[in-house]
Amino acid sequence: MAERDCSLQLQEQVQRQLQSGAGEGLDIAGGASRTGFNLAVGENPLSLAEHAGVIDYQPDELMLKVRSGTSLASLEKLLAAEGQGFAADIPRPGAGSTIGGAVATGWDGPARVFGLSLRDVVIGCRMLNGRGEIVNFGGQVMKNVAGYDLSRLQVGALGTLGVLLDVTLRLWPQPEYSLTRSFVASVDDLPQWWQKTRLLRPLISGACHCGDRLYLRLSGRRAAVVPLLDSLGGEDSDFDWCAVRDLRHRFFSAEQLACVYLPRAMPFEPRSGTAMVDWEGARVWVADGDHGALQRQAAELGGFVRILRGRVLAAAGGGEDWHRRIKRAFDPEGLFNRDLYRTHFGGAEV
Amino acid sequence: MRFDRDPIIEALRKIVPADRVLSGRERVAPFECDALPVYRASPRAVVLVRSEAEVVAVAKLCRRQRVPLVTRGAGTGLSAGARPLERGVLLVTSGMDRILSVNPDSMTARLEPGVVNLQISRAAAAHGLYYAPDPSSQIACSIGGNVAENAGGVHCLKYGVTVQNVTGLRLVTADGEILTLGSDCLAQPGYDLLALVHGSEGGLGIVTEVTVGLTQKPAQTRTLMADFSTVRAAADAVSTIVRAGVVPAALEMMDALAIEATEQFCHAGYALDAAAILLIDLDGQPEEVAAELALVESVLANSGASRVQCAASDAQRELWWKGRKSAFPAVGRLSPDYYCIDGTVPRRRIGDVLEAIDRFARHYRLRVANVFHAGDGNLHPIIMFDGRERDALDRVEHLAADILEYCIEVGGTITGEHGVGLEKIDQMAVQFGDAEIAQFLAVKDALDPDRLLNPDKLIPTLAHCQEYRMLRKSDG
Repeated sequence: MAERDCSLQLQEQVQRQLQSGAGEGLDIAGGASRTGFNLAVGENPLSLAEHAGVIDYQPDELMLKVRSGTSLASLEKLLAAEGQGFAADIPRPGAGSTIGGAVATGWDGPARVFGLSLRDVVIGCRMLNGRGEIVNFGGQVMKNVAGYDLSRLQVGALGTLGVLLDVTLRLWPQPEYSLTRSFVASVDDLPQWWQKTRLLRPLISGACHCGDRLYLRLSGRRAAVVPLLDSLGGEDSDFDWCAVRDLRHRFFSAEQLACVYLPRAMPFEPRSGTAMVDWEGARVWVADGDHGALQRQAAELGGFVRILRGRVLAAAGGGEDWHRRIKRAFDPEGLFNRDLYRTHFGGAEV
Repeated sequence: MRFDRDPIIEALRKIVPADRVLSGRERVAPFECDALPVYRASPRAVVLVRSEAEVVAVAKLCRRQRVPLVTRGAGTGLSAGARPLERGVLLVTSGMDRILSVNPDSMTARLEPGVVNLQISRAAAAHGLYYAPDPSSQIACSIGGNVAENAGGVHCLKYGVTVQNVTGLRLVTADGEILTLGSDCLAQPGYDLLALVHGSEGGLGIVTEVTVGLTQKPAQTRTLMADFSTVRAAADAVSTIVRAGVVPAALEMMDALAIEATEQFCHAGYALDAAAILLIDLDGQPEEVAAELALVESVLANSGASRVQCAASDAQRELWWKGRKSAFPAVGRLSPDYYCIDGTVPRRRIGDVLEAIDRFARHYRLRVANVFHAGDGNLHPIIMFDGRERDALDRVEHLAADILEYCIEVGGTITGEHGVGLEKIDQMAVQFGDAEIAQFLAVKDALDPDRLLNPDKLIPTLAHCQEYRMLRKSDG
């Protein structure tokens, strides 16, 4: 893995753009592995690919500080060698997926429902704001309430508030043992299953319904997992959880792809398209559905929809005015990721 | 009375019944400070609200009249975050204390902001659920205040702090608009405004409803107590346990002075000859707990623990924890006054920091007891002093500043869970540079353009930062 600190070059590029007065934007590019999910990089890319490398890894502290262009694959390998992993289930849709891209998108994998989300485990960041300044927020400790939590605010902000240079993340010991069982189950059976999976906590780390089967993954100390598996029944399965996490499963190749987020245990069946139920029912992937109808259906149940392929719908919710104000507080000239801001944050002109 | 003709008070009495608007020095006296009584001020008026509609009306009034508005929950804060302003209104949410719903299916509970932290777990207990964050003040502190401070507690190491356990909020903005942030879902669209509001100390809006995530009660909890003959060995054992692949539910440490004080106070059975003890909770499925218990016991033995005990019964567990939880009042009994501070450092630096605290304390002729969340590296040095001595408070403030700035030096932070408030506003200038402070202020100005919501707390002005840095430099 190439290790290089490009902070100052990146800062120069941002400052040059600000001074040019041309009014052009900058489009932040990481590993470009999410471009197929409505996150195409715009016309004037600012590449973070070279800005890579581990800055500090302290296994005792369960802490990793890393440059944002570092590949997730290389980090996973590094952490696994110490018996550790990220404290959240972080998707990496392509071999080139970077940690910066993951933080900017803020997506979570199947284990999220039983543990922490990516936004929960980001404890610090160093970034370039829209004034071309390098600023540091948070730190390397888990408990930290000095100032506003501006590092967590970057998670899912799609780089619209600035260029992430370094991020600091919380880690977790890898589970000693992990095994998946599969069961024949229809969508109608699921509410009953979610009653049962409740009793498998805290050892359950995945619950996904795909086709006519339910897949349950148990993780933890072997001494605890084995007897629980015996009582659970089902068939051993080699279900590829990473393919779901990384959106590589064939289900995700559909031309129209939506993700419906719902309150837990809320029965949900899309009126059109095919569904894959994840997160104990708190997240339903829908291929080739009617996105407008899905949005209405989700809103009725207290949920919302994210469109990963197909035309993005105007965001619902009450935060739009705050979005505009926060964008301006970080990026007064509207320099960063204009297209993504307009598309995903309902952005009026900055 | 002249006070009653204050147009703000008159207007407040049109919003809520007159008996819920307090004015005049004597009537507002109970609200002059939070749990850090060194900082006091008498507000222009106190308004005790009972509904979101009242909060909206008060916010709109203050906005119209350009009157600062400070929100107070139960008043248990330890950084003067809820200290009123003399020219301002103090809005008290502790009367909004209804539990609106407990939903075992979505594992959430909807609460008004004045609900007391411990009440949430009591209400959820029937479903085998509880609310994980447990600040020491949990019998009194309110969930609205927990959000404002992003409160922690003993069990954050495994279960996270408030921000990881809240899924939704309703917030009244400086304009008096109602914002809904998050929901019962496990993700949210748009910017993570939910995270932004946590720990913002009432400076971005007033929380009027909180949806918390509930946690399944563990099948079993076992507690270990380990005695050490040096503070350094106990501190190092903390890192070794985590390195061994165990994340305990709680991992707390007490030094000799804290042990002595608590043992006198509640006879928990702590070793009076130990330099430090660790209290460790392991929870989960019984098989998992048994495996981790064996692992941790062997780590402790190899780390130089002189004695390791496992609580034989729930009664013994509770007694050990009762000691830990009553440590602050217990230390208070050994000394006319005490002052508790709150910094976080990387775990591996705990030993260095405790030695430095000892050094600094001797320099200022003060005694410091340490009882803290070792697993999180979150220190709570308790400075013991006698306020009747002429320069005592001055020495205490200097010692506190030295300790917090040392926390920054070793890669930590000036506050882990108590907040900045007014108390640590100076140290913000040390932890952050001007560019960061300016970015904080830009966010504040974007969401509260007239700086009416709890102004002068949490984020210092740039001028204040420059002044303080000069002052510390000239102090040497």
